[in-house]
Formats: sequence, structure tokens, C-alpha cells
Amino acid sequence: MPNGPELAIRAEHVTRDFGPVRALDALSLEIPKGIVFGFLGPNGAGKTTAIRVLLGLIDPSAGHAEVLGLDTRRDGSAIRTRCGALLEHPGLYERLSAYDNLDFYGRAWRIPRGDRQERIRELLTRFGLWERREDPVGRWSRGMKQKLAVARAVLHRPALVFLDEPTSGLDPVATAGLREDLAALAAQEGVTVFLTTHNLNEAERLCAQVGVIRGGKLLAVGSPEQLRARGDSGRVDILTTGITEELVRHLAGLPDVRTATASGDHLAVSLSNGASVAPIVAWLVQHEVGVEEVRKVRATLEDAFLDLMGAETTNGEAAGGTT
Amino acid sequence: MIHDIWTVVWKEWQEFRDQLLSLRRGGLSALILALILGVVAPVQLGAEWVESRLIIGYWPFLAATMVSSLIADSVAGERERHTLETLLASRLSDSAILIGKIIAAVMYGVGFAVANLAIGLIAVNVAHGENGLILFAPQRFMVTIVFTILASLLMAGIGVFISLRASTVKQAQQAFGIAIIVLTMGPLLLFNALSYETRTAFIARLGRVGETRIEAYVVAGLFVLSAIVIAGALARFKRGKLVFD
Repeated sequence: MPNGPELAIRAEHVTRDFGPVRALDALSLEIPKGIVFGFLGPNGAGKTTAIRVLLGLIDPSAGHAEVLGLDTRRDGSAIRTRCGALLEHPGLYERLSAYDNLDFYGRAWRIPRGDRQERIRELLTRFGLWERREDPVGRWSRGMKQKLAVARAVLHRPALVFLDEPTSGLDPVATAGLREDLAALAAQEGVTVFLTTHNLNEAERLCAQVGVIRGGKLLAVGSPEQLRARGDSGRVDILTTGITEELVRHLAGLPDVRTATASGDHLAVSLSNGASVAPIVAWLVQHEVGVEEVRKVRATLEDAFLDLMGAETTNGEAAGGTT
Repeated sequence: MIHDIWTVVWKEWQEFRDQLLSLRRGGLSALILALILGVVAPVQLGAEWVESRLIIGYWPFLAATMVSSLIADSVAGERERHTLETLLASRLSDSAILIGKIIAAVMYGVGFAVANLAIGLIAVNVAHGENGLILFAPQRFMVTIVFTILASLLMAGIGVFISLRASTVKQAQQAFGIAIIVLTMGPLLLFNALSYETRTAFIARLGRVGETRIEAYVVAGLFVLSAIVIAGALARFKRGKLVFD
């Protein structure tokens, strides 16, 4: 296990209760420095609570967490000094100009005047906002505000940045633009990014590691490839000649076949977990169907995520428990 | 700590400036108020405007009213506009944030009152100063300024409590309106409810105590009350609680 200084975040059995509601349930997590970590989960999964605990804004009910080697209960102020955050809302002063918004937080982080001016110019230019720097932020689009909020979060060159659903509520073009900006920023600034999202495409493109949380419990953690491998889709695409509707119906009734559908010569088969495609191909050949191509469909992160969500729901129901 | 407090004061003033410069957002009412209080009233009342004892109560009341509106916008508004949690996630301490907000509002309220006093003094001298300069009695002027600062601090402290309980700026300002009426009208109504003999005896006793000593008592009382209320506000303004508000 890496020791403190090599880890940006270490959480050990962190639990947080709000009255009868358990928002975090024995969360244990280790995030190395210098990566983009995606924290995936549906609404109400505990992602925002995790950020609040890690920033030392609230104490855990039980367990222990360290951020940049600092204790979240004891060293909240020191953690917030070294971290940046874009929380649930952009948190911008809409009556102030973009420049003044950044200037205020630059002053709060005690960045010397000259450096502050230079840094604000650098960030606003990078995000394409420099020309609008004197506009009151209230007049800006949601996408521009989110970009400014990201700029504010990294203004003081923090070692770790928390971004809570940064692309939430943005249109696809703005989402793609901000995603590119985030990727470039993480690469150029060498900062560790803790990103919560329920946008799986975003996580897959940006994150070196992802964790999946639901009902406050961490269900899985690993690289997107590792999670995809866990969520083997079991889907197979077969290009055939001579497949009939009758044969498709028979095929769907075979053991280990969950579903089978055909569209022209294209046959899509979903197999039970761990089942081999060879007996299916043999069955097709036996029934005089030509098999031109067999291709296993690679699971996406979404498949893995939905598998985890489904499995957790089933487990929860079977145990009669709550999340 | 001092640097952090001034950083918050700077930010609050940027927002106040925007409000003041925008006619729709309060700039117009401030301008009308300044014209009436700083020009019209002094010109109409003449030397009486300077000599009246009422200034000791009037200017502190005006500044405190202004502070109440600003502190509601500053505290309840910060939460309503979803900027509070980001501020709490910064390196600024709870006390630096709160003290900065209180100082900014008090500076604004007191500054507005003092500026009006100065404009009024110019106006009254331009209109009625043909027989020489008309000036405030130094002691009364000093007492007025001290009352204004202390009343503003007290109102700012009360304002923090009200604003932390209100979910919107409007709600906080309405609660403030009621608090101001209770604080100003309450003692007057109570006094009027007393029998004629009791009131006469009370006034006679005040007369024996003397004006200077009464002023000193009021200053001491306001100081202690302000200190208690602001200490309470500092104890209430904590990240752990505010994040859930």
C-alpha cells in the first residue's frame, strides 16, 4: 500500500449519517497523486457528501480520511488551503465581473498582485473568456460560468481539485468543450482531479481511475478498462446468411442465451455470464446457417455501471436492506 | 487574519458598489434619501438641523437601518445565490468571513450617515450661513458618531442571526423590518403606557443624572450588547452548521 505522501486521498471506513439517513457507508478509497479520478453514482449516492467530508467541511460520523496527508477532522483549514473546489453550484458572484470573481479568490489565497493578474489572464485566455472579463457574470451562459468556476478552482495552483458534476446542465457542445478544457488542464497543471459525475462517457474519456458509489457504499474501483472487464456484456454480434425468424425464436430458448434478435442477416445474441459463444455457432452451423463473422461486443463503462447498479439493487432487495 | 478580513471587506464593497451604481438595485433610493436628508431637510430646518438633539438618535437609526438591509443581502443572499458553500470551501476562516461582512456593512452604513451629515452641513451653511459658520457642537457630533457605529454593529450582529434563519433575502429583510419596529417603537410604547406621575418622575430623575452621563450609559450599554450579539453570531457562523442550512 502506498504511504501518505504518494496518495492524494485515503479514506478508511468513512461513514457519515444525517439523522437516520446513512449518506456514506464505510467508504474506503485510495487515490494516487496526479490522476483524474472519477466518482460515479446516481443522484443521492453520496458523492457530494464525500467531497464535503474530504474538504473538511463536515466531519465523518465514523472512520478516518486523509487528504494530501492531512487529517480531514483536524486539518480542514490546511486541506482547503491546498485544494480547489467546484461544488454543486458554480458559486460565482453574479454581480461582479469575471475578473473580480477571480481577483477575490486570488486575494483569498494570498496570491501576490502581479502573479494574480498574470494567472487570471492566463486562465481566462485558456478558457476563451478574456474578452468578456469585465462583464458581470450574471449575464453569461451556463457553460461560460462553469468554465469560470473551473478557472477559479485551479487559480491558486492547488495540488488537488474537487469538481462536483462540472458538466451538469450543459448542452452537448458546451459539455464537450469543458471536457477538453479539463483534460488539457489536468495534463498541463499536473493536478490531481477528483471528479464526480453521472456522465459515464465523460468519466471514460477523462479518468485514469473510477469508483462507483451507490447508497453511500463503494461498489467498485479501478481503471475504466478494469471496470469494463468486470462488466462483460455477454453480447455477441454474428453476421449470418440464411437466418430465419423461426431459428431466432429457437435460439432464444437455448440454455445460456438470454436474448436473441435478428435484423436482416445481423444476429445479436446476449449470453448468460461466462457462457461460451462456440456452442451457439455450432448450433447455427448445424441448422445450416452460414456464419460469416462472430464478434464479441466489448462492454462499455455504462454496461459495467448498469451491471453494478443492477447487482446492488438485487442484493439490496434480497437482503431486504436499504442503501 | 487581518488580510483575510480585508479581502472579504473588499469583495463586499465590490458588490455594494454595484448596487449603489445601479439605479434599479437600490442606487436610486440611496440617492433620493441622500437628497432629502442631506440637502432638503438641512435647507428647510436651517440652524435647528444642526442644534437639535434628535440627531443623536436619528443618524444612528438611519445607519442601522441601512446596515440591516446590507447584512441581510450579504449573509442570506450569499446562501440564496449559492455562493456560500464555495466561500466556505476556500481557505478563509469562518470568523474572517463573518467579521469581514460585518465591517463592510457597518462601514457602508456609517459612511452613508457621515457623508449625509457633511453634505447637510454644507447645504445648511450655503442656505443659512450668512451670519457665520453653522457647526455641530463637538461633543454632540462625537456622541452621534459613536452611537452610529455602535448601533450599526448591534444591528449587524442581530442581522447575522436573522439572516442565518431566513431562507431568502426578502424574508430576512421582512424580519428585520419587524425587529427595527420592535426595537424603536417598543420602548416608546412602554414609556407611554406608564402613568403620568411615573413618566414625570422618570424624566426628572434623568434630568438629575445629566446628559453626559446618560450618553455614557447608552454608549456602554450599546457596546456590551453589540459585543454579546457579535460573539453569539461568531459562535453560530460555523462551516459545519452552515453547509446544511
